[in-house]
Amino acid sequence: MLRDITVGQYYPSNSVIHQLDPRLKILGTFLYILMLFICGDLISYAISATFLAILIFLAKIPLRYIFRGLRAIFFVLLLSVGLNLFFTEGRVIFRFYFLKITYEGLMKTLILGIRLVFIIIASSLLTLTTTPTNLTDGLERSLHFLHYIKVPVHDIAMMMSIALRFIPILMEETNKIMKAQTARGADFETGGIVRRVRAMIPILVPLFISAFRRANDLAVAMDARCYRGEAGRTKMRPLKYSGKDYGGYLVLILFLGILIMMKTMY
Amino acid sequence: MSIIRTKNLGYKIKIKNDNNEVIGYKNILNDINIDINRGEFVAVLGQNGSGKSTFAKHLNALILPTEGMVLINGEDTSAAEELWKIRRQCGMVFQNPDNQIVGVTVEEDVAFGPENLGVSSQKIVSTVREVLQKVGMTKYATKSPNHLSGGQKQRVAIASSLAMKPECIILDEPTAMLDPKGRREVIEIVRQLNREEHMTIILITHNMEETIFADRIYVMEKGRPVMQGKPRDIFTGFEEIARLKLNPPQITELSYRLYQQHKISRCDILEVQEFVEQYQKDAQSNLQKDIQHNVQNDAAKEMTVSQMGESTDENEILRLEHVSYFYEKGTNMEVAAVSDVSLCIHENEFVGIAGHMGSGKSTLMQLMNGLIRQSSGKIIYKGTDISEKKFDKRKMHFGVGLVFQYPESQLFADTVIEDVMYGPINKGVSGEQARQLAEKALKTMEIEEEYFDKSPFQLSGGEMRRVAIAGVIAMEPDIIILDEPTAGLDPVTRTHLLQTLKRMYEESKKTIVMVSHSMEDIADYAKRIVVMDGGKIRYDDTVGNVFRNRKELEQIGLGVPQVTYAVELLRRTGCIRGGQALTVEEAMQIL
Repeated sequence: MLRDITVGQYYPSNSVIHQLDPRLKILGTFLYILMLFICGDLISYAISATFLAILIFLAKIPLRYIFRGLRAIFFVLLLSVGLNLFFTEGRVIFRFYFLKITYEGLMKTLILGIRLVFIIIASSLLTLTTTPTNLTDGLERSLHFLHYIKVPVHDIAMMMSIALRFIPILMEETNKIMKAQTARGADFETGGIVRRVRAMIPILVPLFISAFRRANDLAVAMDARCYRGEAGRTKMRPLKYSGKDYGGYLVLILFLGILIMMKTMY
Repeated sequence: MSIIRTKNLGYKIKIKNDNNEVIGYKNILNDINIDINRGEFVAVLGQNGSGKSTFAKHLNALILPTEGMVLINGEDTSAAEELWKIRRQCGMVFQNPDNQIVGVTVEEDVAFGPENLGVSSQKIVSTVREVLQKVGMTKYATKSPNHLSGGQKQRVAIASSLAMKPECIILDEPTAMLDPKGRREVIEIVRQLNREEHMTIILITHNMEETIFADRIYVMEKGRPVMQGKPRDIFTGFEEIARLKLNPPQITELSYRLYQQHKISRCDILEVQEFVEQYQKDAQSNLQKDIQHNVQNDAAKEMTVSQMGESTDENEILRLEHVSYFYEKGTNMEVAAVSDVSLCIHENEFVGIAGHMGSGKSTLMQLMNGLIRQSSGKIIYKGTDISEKKFDKRKMHFGVGLVFQYPESQLFADTVIEDVMYGPINKGVSGEQARQLAEKALKTMEIEEEYFDKSPFQLSGGEMRRVAIAGVIAMEPDIIILDEPTAGLDPVTRTHLLQTLKRMYEESKKTIVMVSHSMEDIADYAKRIVVMDGGKIRYDDTVGNVFRNRKELEQIGLGVPQVTYAVELLRRTGCIRGGQALTVEEAMQIL
């Protein structure tokens, strides 16, 4: 059923990773990805892989959920790996007609592949262990400093959470309009690209009208409930750091420390 | 002490021409003087366009008056420096359940108000728990609102406004988009809040039945209250109510008409039980002696029950044989939306399909039109099995026209006529012919020619719905299926639409299938009724025969019309000897 579609891909569980503060997880993911770009050697990646494996184990998430995210970027991965593998100049170690594989190409491909895969897994881990609401809250608080350079962080976060609420509703509405137009003989499946795009008009126009109407209704409802932006607003469940989170920060610093040490030693 | 007072309240909007110049003013509200006391339950009745919603928005300072003033707890809304302080005092619940819920979960939504007011976190948690308890939604606290029924969503919306600890709650047509069960839920909660918490309630509605529990009713017309008083007083002013086309409860209409014929001694009756008691009392005092005589005729009439369900096969259009449909087939989440349904639709029939939410009636409709394919069973359209490979499914869409709920939400074209032509053009007829079909369909739906080249989005809600229905009629289908065609319409547009459908059935000899949860509408217009429950057909017979099973119908959340119930009660108490009334007219003949 369309009502069950959720944005993001939260996997409900009560693991220690799930319980961590979203701010810690967001910062952690960000730094982790940053380190993947800074370090380009296999030893650092081995350490990163171990770290990630431990986190996945602690999060108690089935592996198939972790790897599901990779499916989406499979072709991007294949393309970039392929290009690097065959078109990098250097010491040739394998040749097949016009295709050749060089040692440098192989190394570069390996690094690039690992980097891409790790980025996806790390960010999947973030969305799998954090509810969309927590993620929005976490982003709002983590990026709050941007508000000093006039970025409306609170407003953006509010928009994100409203989007989370309305995307399933609009999906269902799209489905309903499609059915209604099909019942009036609309045909979305045959014809060339121009015809198909034109066939979308009877769906898109009502959908936009409905979205605007809903936005207007919601704005009035929010007004009626005294919404005045960020000013004077409290939270039912404000984000609060607990002992676990401080531990988490310590682990994060430790991990970064080890990586930097390795980097300076070699 | 009065909590809300209006003094000569007026509201005007500017009318602008295409160049954005003001060419005049339109009065939406005129000279309203209203006084609402703390703890009162006030209902505001009126048709769409009578200004009742605009009035409601004034009480919450969502709109500020252009003339006169609104005083909330003695404070003038126009002079208030901070509007949110006024809004806090008057919680508001709106019509559309989806569009007023902000939170991703129920408790987050309820917390939204207090969060905006800067209440401390601890306090919010306890408030949320308390108000969810009051509306009976504690169980759903962490659920997504998308999984709730309409009635439950409105209860959440009520909880959300309660969470701001308001002095009063204004409900702007809170039940217009709900089914009967949802309506009962919402009205029950509202009454309870008024009774037990002494919450001031202002209920805005066009449904008279919902106002019988109010302390006071204001009836609005053209931006000003034209009647006010206790429900009984208002309902006795029957001629005025009729002039305002307000659709009083059947039982009130019946007692008024009996009163006029001196068959009952008073006419301010609001409930069925009350009517039955009064009627018995009057019967005993021999106010009307001729009753017994009448009854015998009707008892005789009752014996000749026609067998509509089993008509001959010659004029059958659509037949379903043991049709089932499963969602998520093959998984462990398999749900039978429709199971083992056999049904036959004949030429020039008016069939009502009744059933509460989740009874499978929407799925059944889509099966009948070929939009979804049955999991098992056979669907035969004019002698051909539609699951055969060579059968063109689109032919089915044109043959069985399907009008979805709130069909106006599918309008898209620049002009009314183009929108209606969309179906015929998809069918493959020439532009000229499509135009003719569209014009004919629009005329059938009683849309004036001057509207043809207007944008459909400039029309009123009722007109938009007619245009949308014309869009299906223009394809000249053999059967027209309408899903809740009157949902959300006010009494005037609703009666008008149903009359149009009736004319289509009687004069143009169309076959009409109307899905509805209003048993009154089905009784008034359909001949045959199919009752769905749990994906199965419970009854498929003449309306009269099916309504004999009142208890069973009530169990599946449907019930029978008030007059049918009243006559049945009278018959059981031996006051009258026989007969069954499906409409007020029939009840008049019996009594």
